[in-house]
Amino acid sequence: MTSYISLPTYSSNIDERLRMIAGKCNQCGTLAYPQRPVCIKCGQNKFERVPLSGEGKIYTFSVVNGGGAPSEFDEEQTMTGDVYCGIVELEEGPRVMVRFTDINPEQLKIGMKVRAVVRRLYDQEGFLRYGAKFTQVA
Amino acid sequence: MMDVAVIGVGQTRYGMFPEKSLKELFHEAALAALADVDKGLDPRDVDEAFVGTLSTGGAQLGNFAPMMMEACGMVGAGARHIENACASSGFALRDAVSAIASGRAKVAVAAGIEKMSDLPRERNRLWLGISGDVEWERLAGTNFAGIYAMMARRHMHEFGTKKEHITMAAVKNRNNAVANPKAQFRAPLTLEQGMAAPNLASPLKFSDACGITDGASMAILCRAEMARDFTDQPVLVIGSGAGSDYVAIHDRPSMTMLKGAFEAGKEAYTTAGITSDDIDFAEVHDCFAIAELLAYEDLGFCDRGKSGPYIESGATLRDGARPVNNSGGLIAKGHPIGSTGTGQVYEVVNQLRGRADTQERQLSGARYGLTHNVGGSGAAVAVHIFKAVE
Repeated sequence: MTSYISLPTYSSNIDERLRMIAGKCNQCGTLAYPQRPVCIKCGQNKFERVPLSGEGKIYTFSVVNGGGAPSEFDEEQTMTGDVYCGIVELEEGPRVMVRFTDINPEQLKIGMKVRAVVRRLYDQEGFLRYGAKFTQVA
Repeated sequence: MMDVAVIGVGQTRYGMFPEKSLKELFHEAALAALADVDKGLDPRDVDEAFVGTLSTGGAQLGNFAPMMMEACGMVGAGARHIENACASSGFALRDAVSAIASGRAKVAVAAGIEKMSDLPRERNRLWLGISGDVEWERLAGTNFAGIYAMMARRHMHEFGTKKEHITMAAVKNRNNAVANPKAQFRAPLTLEQGMAAPNLASPLKFSDACGITDGASMAILCRAEMARDFTDQPVLVIGSGAGSDYVAIHDRPSMTMLKGAFEAGKEAYTTAGITSDDIDFAEVHDCFAIAELLAYEDLGFCDRGKSGPYIESGATLRDGARPVNNSGGLIAKGHPIGSTGTGQVYEVVNQLRGRADTQERQLSGARYGLTHNVGGSGAAVAVHIFKAVE
């Protein structure tokens, strides 16, 4: 099975994935995370790179049944079953689709406080893919 | 701009047909559409063809449209492949309408096909996630079921919609498909069964989702002024609208509406010169049950946030005030991705002509029918409005 997200594509935005680096629009100050070529608000295309806190709240979520995730997660799903994922509204404003980790699925709810941690996503092309997952703030 | 009419429609049965090749499936739909042109049409008289498919069984093929033309005796027509994920053939229809309206083509076809059964399961799941924002949504470990589930959860949170309201769309559509010989899933479903089905992506259950389907469909269109040469029952395409949106739902200001669908609907109503109140029935894109509720709101069938009480009122049942997905919709008729848009046209045109395959399914007195075809989680949407000719 070939990987859908190739290593070069993955590595091109590794700063966003591992260090939570957002783009801040030079013109209107709107944050883009994930980064994007054109500002979602004013249409400008120059950004300053700024790190985000990684803190946020669950905006929506789903528990995806075993076998329902993309096939690169097959090995993990075989071991762990369900995938817990959702959208987090970051403290600084942007929303992003993420995986949850070290979280009690029974306690998942809209508004729950979560924080980014670097975790393994999956293993493909002989290379471990890491990224930010979100965990419950105690 | 020239007026445009549909003069023939055809569709294969939807289901799993591992014994049929891609060309055989397409040929079957084309043959049915040609036979549906009552006074006959030489397939070589087709000027332009637009063929919707996502990726022909997970395998990208170049020059796909000429290959399909070859399979149905339409060699020579200007043909091209249209891809907008699950809205591929809704956009193929829009392009066919434009080709005729502009005066460039006299006769054009819009068609769609998908063969989803030929793949190993893991390749199917690899492939099914490719119409979203793969760099972020997919790396979070979700396919479309999870994405629509997240929209459903927001709808429940923001408007107090109950899970039962969402499942009511699946129940209605499954029960509608019982009488449709072209449908894939023809076993009825009760609300209790739907609510008790295994988890797919919470809050959605397996019964809230469409399946894996093979199928093909075709609509043949011409200048309205020529339509009587081909049939005594042409159906006019009076409205066409299209819209798009951010691919990843996390970039959208609201996750409880599809902005692209709202815009497409607005354009379709404006071009048709009518309002949502005039629509007698519709085929909408219910890939997951929540999508049908969002469609009610985006198309103006009910107020924003009120789709739960609206479906509960029974208004969209077969015998309701405005039947929706009388065919069974994507959930029960089936969702062979590229075929879905023109498959909806097949249903709407037959209803407007009074030619539903069974009497039980025939709607009476319908003048205006609407199709709503969504790509992915709303990144691209095409809406069309059809009118019967008295």
